Amino acid sequence: MDILKLDDEELKRRLAFFELTDEDFRRLTALKPFAERWTNEITEGLYELIMGQPESRAFFPDQATLARVKKLQNSYFLGLFSGSYDLNYVRDRLRVGTAHERIGMPPKLYLGAYRRYLALIHARLQDHFKGNDAEASKALATIRKIIFFDMAFAIDTYIAAYLETMTRHQAAIRELSTPVIKVHDRILLLPIVGTVDTQRAHQIMETVLVQIVEQQAKVMILDIAGVPVVDTKVADHILKTTAAVQLLGAQTILTGISASVARTVVQLGVEITRMHTRSKLSEGIELALSIVGKKITSKKESERGDA
Amino acid sequence: MYRSERERWEIRIDKEADIVAVRQRVREIAKEHRFDQFAVAALTTAASELSRNVWVHAQKGIALISVLRNGNKVGVELEFVDHGPGIADLNRALAGGFSTSHSLGLGLSGTKRLVDEFSIDTEPGRGTKIVIRKWKKEF
Amino acid sequence: MPSGPIPILKLGSTLLATIHIDLHDTVVDSFQNDVLEEIERTGSDGLIIDISALETVDIYVARMLANTGKMAKLMGAETVIVGMRPAVAATLVRMGYLMEGINTALSLEEGLEFHTRRSKMSDGMGDA
Repeated sequence: MDILKLDDEELKRRLAFFELTDEDFRRLTALKPFAERWTNEITEGLYELIMGQPESRAFFPDQATLARVKKLQNSYFLGLFSGSYDLNYVRDRLRVGTAHERIGMPPKLYLGAYRRYLALIHARLQDHFKGNDAEASKALATIRKIIFFDMAFAIDTYIAAYLETMTRHQAAIRELSTPVIKVHDRILLLPIVGTVDTQRAHQIMETVLVQIVEQQAKVMILDIAGVPVVDTKVADHILKTTAAVQLLGAQTILTGISASVARTVVQLGVEITRMHTRSKLSEGIELALSIVGKKITSKKESERGDA
Repeated sequence: MYRSERERWEIRIDKEADIVAVRQRVREIAKEHRFDQFAVAALTTAASELSRNVWVHAQKGIALISVLRNGNKVGVELEFVDHGPGIADLNRALAGGFSTSHSLGLGLSGTKRLVDEFSIDTEPGRGTKIVIRKWKKEF
Repeated sequence: MPSGPIPILKLGSTLLATIHIDLHDTVVDSFQNDVLEEIERTGSDGLIIDISALETVDIYVARMLANTGKMAKLMGAETVIVGMRPAVAATLVRMGYLMEGINTALSLEEGLEFHTRRSKMSDGMGDA
């Protein structure tokens, strides 16, 4: 319900849009005996359709499942006439929708079933009101309102499920596209590969800053060898990130600067001369190490030192 | 897009402490609606800048905070209204400089860069109305 | 003694001021005063301002911090601002406000290290 932002106000708005009034609620409550009398037959009628089509039948592979589901369907039907249409009712309806979404039943089948439901109810209503067409019409109109009201929630649950998946995927994509690597104690490296648009640039700055604080890194190496185009915008993003890194108390080393990027940047008049920059990543790493007071020596050298 | 009736707050700005009051309310709302830390900081800083402008230049005004919804998107809207002196040279105020400018210049242009939508209605002698909006990242 | 709510501690020849509350403008003013008066009173040559608790730093506060650093420097004290939050740094930079001429460090520890290194260097210069 959270992801769909369903609260009392939203519920009020929906009831208004579906034109569900106190009169409808009274009518529904009055129809409770009708519902109790016909629920089994209506459920049977619904599952006749579902089991009669191979696509929908597949969801109910065994008798036990079918029996359980029919029972749930009965209580669902009776719920329509409960007389209480508050957030608890909504929560309940959402649960039903979620259950269907989870087993993979596509909306088309779900909606097709609702259509059948209405037809079955319609037929029984005419009998119930024994020729009083006016009353039967009013009852049907009310039931149609509540059924459509429910359908909206059913569709919402499908949407909620997809939103959740999207959210997870986006988070994963964000992580993958800004992989901050710990090269050494207090030295982080972020290889930027691909185009950097404004959104990505924001993402990069934010990830870099958070990682620096989390890891208490003194140096952040930004390698741009994989960025195809470095124009004023991209350069500006890099400058901003560097400035922010400095505000935290760390330093940035920009590496992977090709000859053409060096040309472009200076010709554009971008001031990145104040930053540490190196052409090769390896040089950047060496510089980073020296900043934190370390250096790489060859094994022969250090062995000689030990001996 | 619509503005919820329930999610609307009005804070009078007629003393210096109100700047902090507006800031804190905005922070609460942004956090409640799960804006990320950077968006929260952007909103509270913008709120701080704009409330301060009202206090410093008009000594009296009002901040209106609303939560907006557009489909599945959530946004926060801040409106600052005062009947102060208004801004004479709006273009210059919005152009803003970097670091060395006076309070009004950088405040407005800086704030503009923190939000998604920014509109300003001002006239010397009549007052100023600034409306800003920031939408939560969808995913 | 500090008149405002921000505590200022003395650690050797360095002062440590920790800003732990949301800053009203009047607090900002008294903070600056208190800091400078403490520098004068104690003769400290180092100042650390810890802003790790600050969630919002607008241009007014940022300018105050930078100015405090400049004023302290005139009195012979070097300032380091420590603990700036990622969102604060990003916001200042995005607004276009460049905090020039200030020293920053990731943590209180690093801030103290900065001052230790600085005193060692100036001791060295003294000898030469």
